[in-house]
Amino acid sequence: MESRLLRVDLTTGEMRDELLPHALFERWIGGSGVNNWIMWEHFLTHDIDCDPRGPDNIFVFGVGPLAGTGAGSGVKGRITFKSPCYGIFGDSAAGGKFPYMVRFAGYDHIAITGKAPAPVYLYICDGNAVICDARHLWGKNSAETHEMLRHELGDYPSAAHTLTIGLAGENQAGIASVVSDASRIHARGGGGAVLGSKNLKAIAVQGSGGIKIHNPPGLLKWSDGFRQKIDSNEAIYGFKRRGTLGAVEMYQHIGGHFWRNNQGCLFRGEEVRSDNWVKKYHKYSEVCSADCFIACDGRYKIDGTESEKSKKYAGETFRRPEYLTTASAAGALDVRDWSEVAHWGKVTNDYGIDNQDLSCAISFVMELKQKNLISAHDVAELFGKQQRLEWGNMEDIEALLRNVSLRDNLFGQLFHDGPYWGALRYSEMKGQNFMKYAIYGKGGAAFTEEMRPFPTWMNNMAVASRGADHLKGIGLIEKFQRRDLSKRYFNGRTEAADLSIPDLKGASTALLENQVALINSYGVCLFHWMLDPAGFAPEEYYGPAYANITGISRTPQELMQNGERICNLEKAFNSRLGLRREHDTICERWMHEPTTEGMYPGKVAADMFETVLDEYYEWRGWDKTTGLQTQSKLTELGMGDVAEVLAADGALARA
Amino acid sequence: MITVHTQYQARFREITRIAGESFELAAPLVAELATAIANKYGPQMESLLIDRKTNELNASGTMYLDSKGRRIYMEDTLADGETIAFLVGIAGG
Ligand code: SF4
Repeated sequence: MESRLLRVDLTTGEMRDELLPHALFERWIGGSGVNNWIMWEHFLTHDIDCDPRGPDNIFVFGVGPLAGTGAGSGVKGRITFKSPCYGIFGDSAAGGKFPYMVRFAGYDHIAITGKAPAPVYLYICDGNAVICDARHLWGKNSAETHEMLRHELGDYPSAAHTLTIGLAGENQAGIASVVSDASRIHARGGGGAVLGSKNLKAIAVQGSGGIKIHNPPGLLKWSDGFRQKIDSNEAIYGFKRRGTLGAVEMYQHIGGHFWRNNQGCLFRGEEVRSDNWVKKYHKYSEVCSADCFIACDGRYKIDGTESEKSKKYAGETFRRPEYLTTASAAGALDVRDWSEVAHWGKVTNDYGIDNQDLSCAISFVMELKQKNLISAHDVAELFGKQQRLEWGNMEDIEALLRNVSLRDNLFGQLFHDGPYWGALRYSEMKGQNFMKYAIYGKGGAAFTEEMRPFPTWMNNMAVASRGADHLKGIGLIEKFQRRDLSKRYFNGRTEAADLSIPDLKGASTALLENQVALINSYGVCLFHWMLDPAGFAPEEYYGPAYANITGISRTPQELMQNGERICNLEKAFNSRLGLRREHDTICERWMHEPTTEGMYPGKVAADMFETVLDEYYEWRGWDKTTGLQTQSKLTELGMGDVAEVLAADGALARA
Repeated sequence: MITVHTQYQARFREITRIAGESFELAAPLVAELATAIANKYGPQMESLLIDRKTNELNASGTMYLDSKGRRIYMEDTLADGETIAFLVGIAGG
């Protein structure tokens, strides 16, 4: 398998092409795995404790071997870096056409270090790369930057596809995101701040090359079978229309939302908890990556006649909000009008900021105000003026979004790294402990769903390598109570699907993390697995596609081990930074405050948390007391070299 | 005879065109309910609801919960007056 890496040093302007050695693919498939390895190697020669906003941090973009091949499983590009907001491992995926265009231009990975003296963008076209002046783009939002670059670069040899940052990235807000093709977002972890700190406004790519396929007839046959499975699946037919928005009604039924900083778990707005979205705003469905047999993406247009509030946004069009965008607005912030929810998705995208972190930071301060824990004087101090901090008030919310993106007042300065750090800084500043109102796991903002009834998810929030996260594990076996999957993966045992007991929840976390890591290394979309048309076993059904594309055959066990290796490398990165068992934790509200509504009232994480965490470490083969990796597990995974580094850093469990 | 109520969401509601209804069942079994719904709404519903390879309720992208929030399976029995919700099985995004 041939895979090329472009290295760019923005300090010196040097660029270098590297053919990645074949041996690399013995251990890593591509995508997230190779990205992680590039970052790991970088920090063997650079200080891992460096400032993530400094020139020593690395920003890696990568795409996996299935992406853009016509396999039909969607395309996701991945960015990997040391996170500026959480100070630990950081990465994030997004779709769009940018990822496969990078492959068409001749590369699978781009690694960027250093810092340009003035704003620049990186332009790649069919195997050539140049660093270009971007002073005219500085100050533009992510969509404007994308449009300007498209115009500037023209349509030859292809339309330009871009990764851009908005104002949040320029101002190095810790929760700034990187936007792919103006509308798909690498949201988590603060990749936008890393690019901003490097003065890199954008990467633009044009490509006319192809992707070498080892066995084209074999891939076509596989791909046709995969398409048939998807096309004949009625549930996927429904998903095409609503996308993840289908979860709104389902969560309203079970009590799965995150309402007002998770003080509740049901939406209150009549409109936003209904299916009216589809009736009123949905204009057409589309595919985000042109290599996907599902096409769950959609486009909205606001006419201004849908509701009183919609008048303000008449004419606005953008991609349909995903469930979590909706959850962050209609749930965390209690916005009750669909047009405002849609607009929230668009503005957070334009500023280039993570709406999960942001909504948790804003709802934290709104809850303090609601409970009279801060005075009018405190509010004036935070915002430089009086601010209503009213739930659901979109005008206020947009003002706070701007504050965090620009860091232009005390609130923005305290909270630009998300709710955990914001709450900590504010508590220290006021000499009062407000941490009880910050919702987080491992320092990362909550993802805005109710977690407490679901022990695998709770564990996942605590252990995810990039801080609380739903895309590192996805506790589907328990959330959807899939006894069939529990039996399949745990020798006929059904406990993983039973929400009322801790058994097999730690094991499920480990299993699902490995599966998700594997999918991320293929460079494909998670939905094709989550919707399960081919049996929920990415190690089985993607294996032949991988072999047809690369000529490398792997057994399902070897592929799963590949996923496990990725999780172990991310863990090792964090262990080098000093993270131990005590950091695998969640916030007080999730731990001790019971849910009060929905189908699962009275749930707190504390009931099962430590038992599940113990089981997780056991299934991982890590040390339960410290949470550290063991020599024997790393040797079994062929990662003896990683164990050596950890041992030298005092970050390997004692035998 | 027992009466079981249903609630439909998303694709289920698109096919049935109603938010919910009630069924009179001779035997208090999930299998009986699934067959009644499939018979009433035809092949699209059958393919959404039942995996004909295993004769289980279709697991992919769908979820069926009783009023206590427990997933139901073909072999389960149903209490008189129970409500079963037919939902999508997706998360995140
Ligand atoms: S399923 Fe949806 S998100 Fe995934 S690649 Fe296809 S269109 Fe994009």
